[in-house]
Amino acid sequence: MRFRPAALVPYAVLAASTLLLVAVGAWYARAGGDDPATAGAHLTRAEWQVVDTQGFRAPPSTVDSASLPGTWQPVVLPDALHDAKSGPADGGVRTSWVKLSTQGLAIPPGPLLLYGARIHTDGTIAIYVNGQLVHRAQAQGPLWNSLFTPLLVDLTEHEGGAVPKEILLRIEHTSSFRVGVSSLWLGSPDAMRERYYVRLWLQQEMPATLNTAFLAVGFFALFIWFKRRHETSYLLFFYLAATSFAAHMHYYANLPIASGWFAWMTLNALFWLIVAIHFFLRQLHGRRLLWLTRGLVGISATITVLTLPSIQVLSVMPNAPIVAPSIYAIILLAALTVSIVDGVAAWNRSREGRLLMLCLGVCVLLGIPDWMLHNHVMNPEGWFTGAYTNAVTFGAFGLLMYRRYINAIGEVERINASLAQRLQQRESELALSHRRLLEAELRQTISDERQRLMQDMHDGLGSSLISAIRSVQGGGVDSGQVSQILKDCLDDLKLTIDSMEPVDADLLLLLAMLRFRLEPRLKTAGIALSWEVQDLPALSWLDPSSALHILRIAQESIANILRHAQASEIRVRTTVATDAIEVHIEDNGRGFDIERALAAATGRGLHNQQRRAAAIGGTVTWQAIDGGVRFTLRLPLERQVVPAG
Amino acid sequence: MNTARHDADPPLIHVAIVEDDPSFCMALSQAVHAAADMLLVGVASSRIEGLALLQGPPADVLLVDLGLPDGSGIDVIRAAVQQWPSCSIMVSTNFGDETHVMRSIEAGAAGYLLKDSSPVRMVDEIRSLASGGSPISPIIARQILARFRQPGPDPQPVAQAPAAPDLLSPREREVLDLITKGFTAQEIAKLMQLSPFTVRSFVRRIYNKLQVSSKAEAIYEARTLGLLPD
Repeated sequence: MRFRPAALVPYAVLAASTLLLVAVGAWYARAGGDDPATAGAHLTRAEWQVVDTQGFRAPPSTVDSASLPGTWQPVVLPDALHDAKSGPADGGVRTSWVKLSTQGLAIPPGPLLLYGARIHTDGTIAIYVNGQLVHRAQAQGPLWNSLFTPLLVDLTEHEGGAVPKEILLRIEHTSSFRVGVSSLWLGSPDAMRERYYVRLWLQQEMPATLNTAFLAVGFFALFIWFKRRHETSYLLFFYLAATSFAAHMHYYANLPIASGWFAWMTLNALFWLIVAIHFFLRQLHGRRLLWLTRGLVGISATITVLTLPSIQVLSVMPNAPIVAPSIYAIILLAALTVSIVDGVAAWNRSREGRLLMLCLGVCVLLGIPDWMLHNHVMNPEGWFTGAYTNAVTFGAFGLLMYRRYINAIGEVERINASLAQRLQQRESELALSHRRLLEAELRQTISDERQRLMQDMHDGLGSSLISAIRSVQGGGVDSGQVSQILKDCLDDLKLTIDSMEPVDADLLLLLAMLRFRLEPRLKTAGIALSWEVQDLPALSWLDPSSALHILRIAQESIANILRHAQASEIRVRTTVATDAIEVHIEDNGRGFDIERALAAATGRGLHNQQRRAAAIGGTVTWQAIDGGVRFTLRLPLERQVVPAG
Repeated sequence: MNTARHDADPPLIHVAIVEDDPSFCMALSQAVHAAADMLLVGVASSRIEGLALLQGPPADVLLVDLGLPDGSGIDVIRAAVQQWPSCSIMVSTNFGDETHVMRSIEAGAAGYLLKDSSPVRMVDEIRSLASGGSPISPIIARQILARFRQPGPDPQPVAQAPAAPDLLSPREREVLDLITKGFTAQEIAKLMQLSPFTVRSFVRRIYNKLQVSSKAEAIYEARTLGLLPD
């Protein structure tokens, strides 16, 4: 098997990255060390009592639990502490005391840490060990993230490391508030820290990270929308990221609950988020669902306005005992409605709609524990899973974007492929039509050439041969004459062949060819040829057909001199006029009566010359000169019309 | 033509002929017989006989017809160039048309003879060829000029890789140029102040260069074909 490094490299990179992540996770998970089950004692059995007080007070540094005025009631943690007797309804302050004994529990030796998942109150928290104050939490009242931040108390510096016998919790709260207390753990620092950090990470840090990532991707979508304004789903995505970021801020904000604006914002952002998801789904399934839209927008707007801190019709402080839980219920209800109605509408139309519906459903499920925790339906050690709704939304919308991205790439590739295919098809079509055109052109050329040669042979070679045959049959001619006629025929043929050579618009070359052919005959006839030519401009119209006409005209002229003029010298000259070239062929023979020759029927040669000259847009003239005739062929430099033949 | 027929003792010109047309063969034989300075040493009427003829003692002038009954005279010309290097080869042709003549020159012929030439002209041409001269026509001159086209005035030099433009000297180029304008060797000699023989020997040199360049071209083309089939 051949080793192909290029194919393996990507897998190696994938394996290395995965391994790195797994290693980091493993290291982080194992950093806790000891087995938590054996490294600590679980404190669940407690006694509690509630005492009315005058306002919030700083906790005393020592408390003797036996001196507290109330009667102790047993309770099994985690639980909500519910007082049967109703306290003052005017929102006065009460203090709940919770006493836990370590008797009978296996407390590990060495330094100890106290851990608890959550103490839910709207006031302060103080912790006493063996009557000594060891820890205070949310001394200025609850923080936004108090509910999501576990408790960890270092006991090593107190009591000189003495084994704690009794742990006492002092919990201040408003009279109508139901305090929730989780079970506590007492154990080695490593074990307790591990519990603490795992809880902190899962409940707070990881959702915060995902939330930030969601927002970052939201900004990415926003910048896409800047470039592609018509695709509003990108803007909607940004809106979604922004609202969900805002809606979950209270999970992470380590600030006192002081400003109503923050609560207003985080709470109402959930409504806006649901409205956004509804619009998103509407885009996907394409139905208007008017009543749902109106209802959602109406409820959201109403609650948004009513909860405005400046109006204060409804309080949104998380500890407001009635309003906040009911608003959460409305939110859950709205989310559930959108999830079902839009989900049904989108079910058969869009896979993406189905995905979003499932996402919203999961979010509702995740939101229910939050509501239950807020309303003490669930014990206070539970998880606020609502923090993960963001992760789910992010995951779902991330999946949508991923699908669009992959589809877009696929589409581009498909279009490119089909473009290439179409281009190839077009090219082959073009090549085919080009070839057909060439073939047609070639056929035309061949046909033209054939016609030209036929015409020439008919007039020249054909008639010369026929007259030769007739002469031989008549018996009135000697073999010398027959030989002469045949030689003329051969000369005709040679000129026909010469006319097919490309002369590149060079008239002089054409004349040179003629001289080359006729020279032997002139020599035989004893006639001197004076070649007085000069360089000539190119004749762009000089095609084989025109070339043959010119050759025949000049040939005829020289033949006439040979036949009739009894000349001893022929001069061939060329002159260039402004718009024409003139070829002069002069002899020193006895001359002839030009008028009469042209008029006579026997002047067929002269008429042929005139006809041929006209065919190429030129003229021929004869002029008597001192002791002979000057024949002039005048050829235009440019030919306007191209006559056939 | 000034036929230098001094009855001193110039060696006889040995003439051989490869020709399947008996009448031309006869006419040529008679013309050679009539010439006192020539001797017909071999006659072949096919390609095979022609190639066999080349095994014998070399002649001074070999006349070859291209259209032989059993193949092309070009083969005979190529073989003659190899086996009779001192021999001047002449192709006999009806029309002296460009296609036939150029191919023959590229194969190694030094001249051509029109079959309808008069007997006097025939022996003149043979004599001129034997003495190192070569005939040329305007069409052939134009073809050779095109083949050795100089880069410069022409904006698009012809893509004939091995045909070095410098192969022709300025004077050779001038001779060819005058021939395309219709001037005869005698007139050119007068214009360029040379002897007519020098002009004809220029032509022979040009033919040799054409043969060399066409060989190089053939190698180039073979390579191209090897690289790019079809």
